[in-house]
Amino acid sequence: MNWDKDRSVSLSLACVGIFALCLAALDIGAYKIAEWFVANRFQHIRHGVLLMVSIYAGSVFGWICLYQLWRLLNNVRLGKVFITENVRSMRIVSWCCVWASVIGLLSAAYYLPFAFIAVAAGFMALIVRIVKNAFQQAIEMKDELDLTV
Amino acid sequence: MEIVVNLDVMMATRKISSNELAERIGITAANLSILKTGKAKAIRFSTLMALCHELQCQPGDILEFKE
Repeated sequence: MNWDKDRSVSLSLACVGIFALCLAALDIGAYKIAEWFVANRFQHIRHGVLLMVSIYAGSVFGWICLYQLWRLLNNVRLGKVFITENVRSMRIVSWCCVWASVIGLLSAAYYLPFAFIAVAAGFMALIVRIVKNAFQQAIEMKDELDLTV
Repeated sequence: MEIVVNLDVMMATRKISSNELAERIGITAANLSILKTGKAKAIRFSTLMALCHELQCQPGDILEFKE
């Protein structure tokens, strides 16, 4: 199979689409999930409400994150890689991960496994932030190179 | 303080157009314009050498340091 750059970006865009579908399913099925958890794990209706709050609060940042990734990938597909708009997108993604991590930490108070999500989101925020810093540096270098005759 | 590019002065003295000079030294007219307008952040030795060769001048005739 002839695998090129464009197909790779298309695959990434498809993955973003799949994640968007999963997130939409999570939003739609949040009530059912909470109901199941109350019946099988929590034994208390209050925790079910808290779970729904966690899901919807996390979902907001999930949607923002996916939208920014979509924009980023579209720019990459158009050949606009080292531009400030992409750095801005990555900064937003990084902050979304930080806030998802905070929500995970708070949610760990009533359901401990959320702590794993908090750590994963925090680590993801760190990775995206480092890549963003590298992009910033690359933009400066590209500007200099573009103006070297 | 800054480095001023006096390329337009040298080109006027030698009576050579931008397009002709760009073609002779092997860079695009757009890049020569960047150099002429002082927007360039750096100049390659090879470009400077080609400019000096075509304009029959020294690097100091093209570049000038101003306080």
